[in-house]
Amino acid sequence: MNRLEVRSISKAFGGIQAVTDFSLDLRQNDIVGIIGPNGAGKTTAFNLISGVYKLDSGKILLEGRDLTGLGQHQITRAGIARTFQNIRLFKGLNVLENVMTAADPYSSYNIFESIFRMGRRKRQEEENREKSMHYLDIVGLKPLAYENPESLPYGLQRKLEIARALATNPKVLLLDEPAAGLNPSEVGEFIGLVKRLHRDFDLSILIIEHRMEVIMELCRWIYVLNFGELLASGTPTDIQNNQEVTEAYIGEEDEECLL
Amino acid sequence: MDLVFSVITFTCITLLGVMGVFVVTGLTGLFSFGQASFMAIGAYVAGVLGIKYHMPFPLAIAAAVLCGLTAGLLVGLPTIKLRRDYISLVTFGFGEAIIAILNNSVSFTGGAMGLSGIPKYTSLWLVVLSAALCIYIVANFKYSKFGRQCLALRSDELAARSMGIDADRVKLTAFLLAAAITSYAGVMYGYYTTYVEPGMFDWGVSAEWIIIVFFGGINSLTGAVVAALTLASLPEILRFASEWRIVIYCVIVLIILNFRPTGIFGEYELFAKHGRTKTSKGA
Ligand SMILES: Nc1ncnc2c1ncn2[C@@H]1O[C@H](COP(=O)(O)OP(=O)(O)OP(=O)(O)O)[C@@H](O)[C@H]1O
Ligand SMILES: [Mg+2]
Repeated sequence: MNRLEVRSISKAFGGIQAVTDFSLDLRQNDIVGIIGPNGAGKTTAFNLISGVYKLDSGKILLEGRDLTGLGQHQITRAGIARTFQNIRLFKGLNVLENVMTAADPYSSYNIFESIFRMGRRKRQEEENREKSMHYLDIVGLKPLAYENPESLPYGLQRKLEIARALATNPKVLLLDEPAAGLNPSEVGEFIGLVKRLHRDFDLSILIIEHRMEVIMELCRWIYVLNFGELLASGTPTDIQNNQEVTEAYIGEEDEECLL
Repeated sequence: MDLVFSVITFTCITLLGVMGVFVVTGLTGLFSFGQASFMAIGAYVAGVLGIKYHMPFPLAIAAAVLCGLTAGLLVGLPTIKLRRDYISLVTFGFGEAIIAILNNSVSFTGGAMGLSGIPKYTSLWLVVLSAALCIYIVANFKYSKFGRQCLALRSDELAARSMGIDADRVKLTAFLLAAAITSYAGVMYGYYTTYVEPGMFDWGVSAEWIIIVFFGGINSLTGAVVAALTLASLPEILRFASEWRIVIYCVIVLIILNFRPTGIFGEYELFAKHGRTKTSKGA
């Protein structure tokens, strides 16, 4: 059984058909890429999988369980975590708290234990703190645990988004352009991080990315979207040699990224 | 001395009201323009029970808080699913509806004439203790998973939901905690003044509490407490006429908007466990 099965999902916004009949398979411990020109519907596909938008049609299965129609938080708790293309960290919470918040749904202490500092609160808060510190350590942000997220440079904010997503204890991790805005050495570091996550966690990763070096280096399989529809899919070598894919990128600013 | 005691009592009661708004508006980002109506519920329920049924004070408090929670559930359940701007409208309508009900159910509440003869059980030490306990409760709330989740969804509700946070449930929890605190404040108020009338709890009171929270800094409990203590006691001490109170608040709002949009204290906390380390560790 596949970890994640996306079965011919579609979504239209008014007259715009953002995603049409898109299907995708993600195996256990797999890394798969989604590429395509700007406006191709990649982020919309993520928003559909993670429940931000309701599907017009289609189905989403996680380890065979039908997630269609569940709310965002239920989908996350079922095991699908994500990061955002335009970074969306929580202002008003420090770096550590940003991560703890994602693990909070696993704490079971109630409101009375909370306001009177009783019972399970102390132990569960400590557990959460330790766990979150561990995730920060993985992405290399532990020394900055008490900083404001806004004060971090862009590259570190992207890492914090990954740590926060990990804290939801996911089976599937959706990364939306995680290398956008990173400098070349940061990109290399990021590739290393994904490889480590892939090795150390039982995690299937789906990456949207414009930077081809990331996709080529990491992905077993690639889906190419264009105007909301699947243009091609295959191994990195297949895609690199696909004439149609190259043409779809012509006139794109990111053209040079492809090769 | 009486004046001093009275100023302290009213200040502590306002502080209780402000704590409720701090939880709902400061931490969770929901504007409740009907918050004072929970104070009315607390004052009237406990008042009527005390006058007509001679209910013991602690029982009257429990009954009043329970009614506040029930009302909170009734207005909260359908409201939290709405967009934020609608929430302020609905809570405003709810508040005005409560006042209309109090005005019209003359046989029970005395209508616009008010309810008089409430026993004077609220003592100075009781309100001071209540205020301290309330600050303790709200601080514990802020620094628990509940407070974190409130702040997360105030900052970015979509991202919060995507992190597995049940936003509706968290909002309702915050709303109910505030309803309990505010209706308790109402009991203290009624049992201190011994007389209440519907006009004492209109939306202007709710707005005043919101202004105090913003003045202190929406994310700062320290700020909310300091702002409540100063802004609530100053006019009492100086015995300004009520029109001047409004003028003062307007001036305060203008000052905040122009010079310190994050409020006096911003996010600062006096007893925060981990101060933000300002030693930036390079790029
Ligand atoms: N909430 C929305 N309302 C209306 N139209 C939308 C919405 N979200 C996306 N779209 C439209 O759907 C299409 C696909 O957008 P999407 O963000 O999925 O593209 P993308 O492949 O992620 O592009 P990029 O590479 O620029 O991130 C675009 O035409 C976009 O304008
Ligand atoms: Mg996108």
